[in-house]
Amino acid sequence: MTRRDFIHKWFVYALGLLPVWVLDAYILPRYPLFGAVVPMLLPLAAAAVAVLEGAYAGTGFGMAVGLLWELAYPGGFGGQVFFLALAGMAMGAVSQYALSQSFPGCLICSAGVLGLLDCLRVARMLFINAAGLSDLLQVAVPEFLWSLAWTPLVWLLFRAIYNRVGGTKLA
Amino acid sequence: MKDFLRQNGILLLVIAFLLSVLIGALSLVMGGQADPLSNIVNTVTAPVRGGIAAAADWVEGVYGYVFHYGEMDRELKDLRAQVRELEEKERQWEEAIRENEQLRQLLDLQARRRDLTFETAKVTARSTSNWESTLTLSKGSGDGIEAGDCVITETGVLVGVVAETGLNWSTVSTVINTDTEMGGIVNRTFSAGVLEGDFALMNQGKLKLNYLPEGAQLVSGDEVLTSGRGDMFPSGLPVGQVEGVFTDPSGQTRYAVIVPAVKLDSLIEVFVIKDFEIVE
Repeated sequence: MTRRDFIHKWFVYALGLLPVWVLDAYILPRYPLFGAVVPMLLPLAAAAVAVLEGAYAGTGFGMAVGLLWELAYPGGFGGQVFFLALAGMAMGAVSQYALSQSFPGCLICSAGVLGLLDCLRVARMLFINAAGLSDLLQVAVPEFLWSLAWTPLVWLLFRAIYNRVGGTKLA
Repeated sequence: MKDFLRQNGILLLVIAFLLSVLIGALSLVMGGQADPLSNIVNTVTAPVRGGIAAAADWVEGVYGYVFHYGEMDRELKDLRAQVRELEEKERQWEEAIRENEQLRQLLDLQARRRDLTFETAKVTARSTSNWESTLTLSKGSGDGIEAGDCVITETGVLVGVVAETGLNWSTVSTVINTDTEMGGIVNRTFSAGVLEGDFALMNQGKLKLNYLPEGAQLVSGDEVLTSGRGDMFPSGLPVGQVEGVFTDPSGQTRYAVIVPAVKLDSLIEVFVIKDFEIVE
């Protein structure tokens, strides 16, 4: 794959990330489910690309998604960049060696990354004594399920991109 | 393992770690100001945010007009009745103000002056997370907005406090957010307490008035205002109404649950209080 093909490929993936980001940051927060829950779509994008492209590309794309999350959303403290890069690497490796590069694989990886994110948030809130476990779970569980419900849409989008420019197709 | 990491992006992981540390350190150092990287990204994306917000507001307006016409008609009639009531009250207030001035002159007291400097701003984005309640505004440090400035509606109702500012954007921590902490006072009884965000109440769209005095006799519907204690925030800004009074699990203090007067999900335009001066 030439440098030009490489840039072309990742430019198309970045374009794919754009509607996910707009939906996640500006559209869905206006219409929360049952008046309370908004989904997290960015980790799903990282999971989909990691499953399709493998560990190396998953690390890079995870890092890019993490950067976007930290810089374009309020209240960032830096941790998401490393977390999503690490998660991208892990999800890519798991899909390469243990699961398949398919929708079920993506669903399992998405569930993993969303679950881990929510667990970390709950642990942090418990650590700073911000609320009780039951109150935190009332937010974490619907958030996890509602986010996971968006996996097919995000998968279809990135699967379509992969079919056009993914892997070594441009080579 | 070493080979696996080498082949699978250990270098990228190290870069990600360094970026995380850099962003974290910058956030710590900058305080209420956005770190330079966030500032650039949010400044560049501000027009996109504004455009999407305007389009979504327009679509919601059309949807409301088409599908909620009867509701809007009823609301219009109610509002007209309220305007008539308020006009009558205003006439009474004008009379009361004249009387107040005369009495102040009689007692040789200086008039109470409340000078507020405003900056109007549009709400361009709402909370993107279920773990906090924030709004993003279309104005920032370039317009003189600073972290800690109060944000109110056109009717003077408290919306929240500016938490972070960038060049042409700012983030507001709303009254129900868990980091809210300011003096509050019940208008009817003058019972003072501390307005605090609470995680469980935030998801119901409410907040707490904590550390109420022992003898405070509050009833449901009592109006709560900012007390202005500490001179950090202006006094007398309506926050909401008392829903109920409860005792803390420790049994030592009582708190009131407050329903905010502001409708956070339908805000389009707000006013940032850039400066205030209250002279008694």
